[in-house]
Amino acid sequence: MYAKQTTVLNVTGLHARPAAEFVSTAKSFESKVYVKRLDEDSADTANAKSMIKILAQGICINTPIEISADGPDEVEAVDKLIALVDSKFGED
Amino acid sequence: MNVLKGNPISRGIASGKLFIYKAFTPDIRESYFEAGEEQKHLEQFNSAVKKAAKELDRIYDSLASESPDKANIFAAHKEILFDEEVAEDVGNLILEDQAMPDYAVDKVFTEFADMLSKIDDPLIAARSTDLLDVRNRVLRILQGKEERNLSVLTEEVIIVAHDLLPSDTATLDREKVLGIITEIGGATSHTAIIARSYKIPAVLGVPDATKILLNDQFIILDALKGEVILDPDDDTKEKYERKLTDFIKDEVEANKYLDKPAVTADGETYHVGLNIGSAEPDENIKFADFVGLFRTEFLYMESDHMPTEEEQFKAYKKVLANMMGKPVTLRTLDIGGDKSLKYMTLPKEDNPFLGNRALRLCLSLPDLFKTQLRAALRASAFGELEIMFPMVGTIDDIRNAKAVVDDVKSELRSESIPFNEAIKIGIMIEIPSIALVADIAASEVDFASIGTNDLTQYTHAVDRMNADLVDYFQSLSPAMIRILDTIISEFNKAGKPISVCGELAGDPAGTVVLMGLGLRKLSMNGSNIARVKRTISKFSLSEMVDIANEAKGISTQEEVLEYLDVQIKSHD
Repeated sequence: MYAKQTTVLNVTGLHARPAAEFVSTAKSFESKVYVKRLDEDSADTANAKSMIKILAQGICINTPIEISADGPDEVEAVDKLIALVDSKFGED
Repeated sequence: MNVLKGNPISRGIASGKLFIYKAFTPDIRESYFEAGEEQKHLEQFNSAVKKAAKELDRIYDSLASESPDKANIFAAHKEILFDEEVAEDVGNLILEDQAMPDYAVDKVFTEFADMLSKIDDPLIAARSTDLLDVRNRVLRILQGKEERNLSVLTEEVIIVAHDLLPSDTATLDREKVLGIITEIGGATSHTAIIARSYKIPAVLGVPDATKILLNDQFIILDALKGEVILDPDDDTKEKYERKLTDFIKDEVEANKYLDKPAVTADGETYHVGLNIGSAEPDENIKFADFVGLFRTEFLYMESDHMPTEEEQFKAYKKVLANMMGKPVTLRTLDIGGDKSLKYMTLPKEDNPFLGNRALRLCLSLPDLFKTQLRAALRASAFGELEIMFPMVGTIDDIRNAKAVVDDVKSELRSESIPFNEAIKIGIMIEIPSIALVADIAASEVDFASIGTNDLTQYTHAVDRMNADLVDYFQSLSPAMIRILDTIISEFNKAGKPISVCGELAGDPAGTVVLMGLGLRKLSMNGSNIARVKRTISKFSLSEMVDIANEAKGISTQEEVLEYLDVQIKSHD
C-alpha cells in the first residue's frame, strides 16, 4: 500500500474530461487504485477505475484528496496520478 | 379496408410499411433464483452486456461522422456499461444473493443513478440519466426484446408512436422516415414542428394508433385529409398514386414562387421571414428576407448540461453567419413544466401552460437568463440580431426583462466586451392581457411578433395538445380576427414593426386576412414560403383589405373559413 495527498486545482475538478482522463490513467495500472476526499470525514474510498464512483465523489476545485494504490505497480500508479492532478489536466 | 382519422399537420401523402415505436419501459420485480444456478445467471448478465456493447458500437459508428456530439453520448454509455464498480455490484448480487439478473441490474444501476443525481453539479446529474438509459438497454436485452430506436432504421417506414419526444427526434433517421402517425399532439406540438421542418407527411391525434396498427402492416397515409388507410386495395392504391401526382404538381407549381419576391397583384412588396430552430444552415433562408423567429430551446433540450455562455455565443454567431447576414430575431428560452431537461428539474405543474414558463421562468432564474442575454448581446456585435421575449403578459414583464438586459449591458460595458448598444428589444404577443394593451406595449418595445398558436390557445382557453379539442382551437375565429386587428393597428399607429410568426402566417387564408388587417411582415417555416408567396401574388392589397373587412363582420369561424375559401378559389 502506497499513498500520497494533493489538492485538485483545475477549474472543472474531477468532472467531464479530467475525470475520464483520470480514470483511464488509473486503469492502465495493475494495482487497485483508490481516491478519497480529505475534507469530509464521512467520505468513501472510491475505486479510481470506476468513472461512476469518481463522479459520485463530486470532487471540485480546491478539494484535498488522497490517492492510494495496492499492488505490484502501486508507487508508479500513485505518482503518475498525482502528477496528472497537479498538471491541472492541461487547463489554465 | 379500415380508415383511421387524425389531424393532418404536415402536408403530403405516403404509403409503406409501419414501424410501431414504443419506448421500452422496464417493469422489474424483486426476484431470486435457486442456489446452484449462479454461474448460469451471471453468464446471462455478461452476455446481455456484450449485446448492449454491440448495439452501442453500431449507433456510435452510424453517428460518428455526421454528428460527433450525438455519437459521444453513446461512447459515454459504453463506458458506463463496462464500469468496474457497477459490474462488480451486479455480479455480487447475482453470485451472493441469488438475485435474478434483471433485478440485480435494475437495483444497482438505479442506486448509482440516484447517487449521482444528488450531486450538486449539473454535469454529473446529467450522467444519472445516462445510467438509467444504459440500465434500460441492458434490461431490454435481458428480456429478449428488440432494440427500439429511431436512429437506426433498416428500411423505409411510416412511424407510429404515442408521441415523439425531442430525444427521439434528435436521433431520427430522416432519410428512412416516410411518414409519422402519433396518438397525441396538435398542429403546434413538437412532433408537428419537426415533421413540417423535415417535410415528412404526418397525421397526429389518431387515438389508439399504437394498439390498432401492426408492425409491417401496409398503409396509405393521407396527410392532406388526415386519414390512415389500412391494407388498401388496388383501386385505392391507384387513386392515391394519382392524388400524390396532383399534390406534387401543386407543390411544383407553388415552388415557382419560391425564389421570387413576395409581391401582390398590384405591385406591393412584402417581407417574408423564416422560422428556425437550430444553428444549422437552412437553405430556405435564400427565399426569405429575415429570420422572424429563431427558437433557442434546442440549445437547452439537446445538451446534457446547462449551455454555457460561450456555447450559446458560438451558436448565435453561427446562426448570423448561416443566415447570410439577414436580420435574425432571437427568442429567449421558451420552456416550462411540460418539458424535461437532463440537467435541471423543472417543477411539475398542474397547468404548465399557465405556469412558470418562458419569460416567467427566466425571470425566476436570473443566472440562466443573464447567461443567455450575455451570449446574445455578445453575438449582436457580429450581425443584425434582435432579442424577443416570449410569454409576456403585462407591462411589468417588459420592464423587468428590459432591466435585466440593461444590467447585462452595463456588465459587458465594464468588461469592455463589444455588443450592439442599439440592439432592438421586442416581445411575443401571445397572451390576451398584453394584446389588449397593445398601444401601451408598443410604446415600451422596439417591435413585436404575434405567436398565433399560443394566442389562440390563451384566447379560446383550449389546450393545443389535446386532440379531442381540435374543433375548439380556432385561429381565425371572429374573436381572433378582432384581437389581431387590435394588435396590428396599434403597432402600425405607433410606427413599430409588427409581424406574425405563428402557424397562421403559413396558411393561405390566414395570410390574406393578416395582410388585409395591415400586417406587412410574416415569418413561417421554410415549407410554407412558396405557397404564401403564391397567395400574396394573386391578390391586390385593396382586395385583401376588403376581404379582411368583410371577415370582421362574420359570426363564426366556420363561416369565415367558407368565405375565405371562396375568395381564394376565385383567385386561382
